[in-house]
Amino acid sequence: MKKQFSRRDFLKLAGALPAGLAASRLSRAFQAGGQNVVIVVFDAFSAYNISLHGYARATTPNIARLAQKAIVYHNHYAGGNFTTPGTASLLTGVLPWTHRAFQPKGKVTDRFVSQNIFSAFPNHYRIAYTHNGWANILLNQFRGHINELIQREKLLLSGFDSIVPSLFREDEDIASVSWVRAMKVREEGYAYSLFLSHLIEDMQDRQIENLKPIYPRGLPTSGADNGFLLETAVDHVMNRLSQIPQPFMGYFHFLPPHDPYNTHRDFADAFRDDGFTPIEKPVDIFAKRVFKNLPAKRREYDEFILYCDREFQRLYDFLESSGLLENTWLILTSDHGELNERGISGHSTDALYEPVVRIPLMIFEPGRTTGVDVHEHTSAIDVLPTLAHLTGQNIPQWVEGTILPPFRADHRTRDIYVLRANNNAQYAPLTVASTTLVRENYKLHYYFGYPIVPQEGLIKLFDVAADPEEMNDLSAFRKGIADDLLRELKEKLAQVDEPYL
Amino acid sequence: MNILSQFTARRYSTRGLWSLFLICAFPLHVWTIILYLRDVSWLSERTNLWDAIGVGAYGLLYAFVESLLAFIGVALLGLFLTPKGWTVEKRISFLSLLVLILSIWGMIAQLLFLWKVFPPAWIVELLIRWGRPLLGLYLISLSFVVPSVVLPVYLFLRSDRTTRAIQEFSERLSPLMTAYLFLDLAGLIVVIIRNAAM
Repeated sequence: MKKQFSRRDFLKLAGALPAGLAASRLSRAFQAGGQNVVIVVFDAFSAYNISLHGYARATTPNIARLAQKAIVYHNHYAGGNFTTPGTASLLTGVLPWTHRAFQPKGKVTDRFVSQNIFSAFPNHYRIAYTHNGWANILLNQFRGHINELIQREKLLLSGFDSIVPSLFREDEDIASVSWVRAMKVREEGYAYSLFLSHLIEDMQDRQIENLKPIYPRGLPTSGADNGFLLETAVDHVMNRLSQIPQPFMGYFHFLPPHDPYNTHRDFADAFRDDGFTPIEKPVDIFAKRVFKNLPAKRREYDEFILYCDREFQRLYDFLESSGLLENTWLILTSDHGELNERGISGHSTDALYEPVVRIPLMIFEPGRTTGVDVHEHTSAIDVLPTLAHLTGQNIPQWVEGTILPPFRADHRTRDIYVLRANNNAQYAPLTVASTTLVRENYKLHYYFGYPIVPQEGLIKLFDVAADPEEMNDLSAFRKGIADDLLRELKEKLAQVDEPYL
Repeated sequence: MNILSQFTARRYSTRGLWSLFLICAFPLHVWTIILYLRDVSWLSERTNLWDAIGVGAYGLLYAFVESLLAFIGVALLGLFLTPKGWTVEKRISFLSLLVLILSIWGMIAQLLFLWKVFPPAWIVELLIRWGRPLLGLYLISLSFVVPSVVLPVYLFLRSDRTTRAIQEFSERLSPLMTAYLFLDLAGLIVVIIRNAAM
């Protein structure tokens, strides 16, 4: 029997140590009897602008490569067209007319405070973070079911701006909007403050001086903050995932590529003069002011996506090299899309065209080595029941979504709804709203209650399979289909209005 | 302590300090209110009326804080800028004059952006050819700003009429500024309600 370790023995043991540690971590996870879930949300990430879904620019070279080992949903829809309804639908598994968080910085109705994706994973270590103030309002509502809610400001660059959310925690959003209008003189060349704005901006400039060359268009920011680095947030997530107990359920909602499209220098001008010409589309009735530089805005947005693409690859590589991926369902998706066409820029619009409602969804299954393309129409509300099903949780009774293909046996087609009702009272019937119903190849737009639309509402019908750009309104030519879908949609609206009559 | 004792020695009277505070607060509040009124329509369109009111309430709160900071800064600066022998009234009038000139230039600088007034192309071209365009722009700005400060100060030093005019202006401003301070109070109440009720 050897009584002493030789140098050779020591080196052999040291070499085996990392593998041994990884194995022990994995075995801990398997013993715990649960698989991990990581949901990565890039805010305002439109499927329309992703090369994987047919966009002419190669905006996602890394994701496209990774997608060869993923289940890719090509026709996936958000619940709404901005943060609050979109995120709330993803996190509750119900549509905005049920969770009622459809106003800016809105909150879900009381029952969903305890009925959400975090409560659906009671035995997982639940961790969440978002840069987005409105998504943070929702996470704060759910915090009773989250083990670790990372403070939003923690991953923002410190500065005077962080005083505002910490002073007015309960009204962070409006206090911050006012702060921007008062102090950010360089945003538009003027601000409420005559002197302090210059002083504060100069001091903040000095703080981030060394970062400026890295972000030629300015630092990524959520508005009132001094900026943030996507890398910092991704690094923090990686750090926490390597330390928290398994099984875990992580929800990480990063702000890019949400505007302002301040990409990293590695990607700034990547698509300049690339010969890409967007399809010319007519100015929409909901274009409040016609943006003249939409192709430039779109290019900057596309270049911001490149930055997200790189950071997602980095996160993926970490999960793979750490061994976590072997026991983790990794989800990549968004809360809503973005539009830079038809005279509209961004997503603060009542219009519900494909770019603003169709979002990416990719599921990276543990051990999967081949890709699957799903072309059925799917919805953000399907994510919760699917993940519950895949990880052996009970599928909550309250969810309105279904298990996603290819994980469910039947292949029946479904109706997909999207709602925008940001001017409607929260607990009242829907009287001012934009809705869509997608069934098979057809997508019906129904806008009602707006002063600029006719009394009976504005209806548009598109064959999104044959006309994905939504150029030819078929409502007058295929009246039978339009009428059927509209009747169906109105019945649905009457049904969801019932509790508020 | 030294600064405080200088305050006492130079006898900034309470009335004089109040008058100086009003002069500091006046342009800052007026500008905040004007720009806020420009914003109200898009704010209420994008959010709702209560949030739009909220933005205004916070704006007034920030303006009040800025007024206080400006007042403290100017009052301290007055200790070093004004001769010992001046009366309190003269000192306050002088500082008020400087505050008003600076505020007017602050507004003009922002108005140029609001009205989209930019230097003519030929001047820009000339500056670029010169090789130091930024320095050139600063020099042009200074050629306007310096006389606008020097001339009123010269007039102030030469004649008591300027002192009296500023005092009269300050007195007339008093009721208006009191109304603005009531608006500040209303804004503060709105902020408290919003933070308690949300």
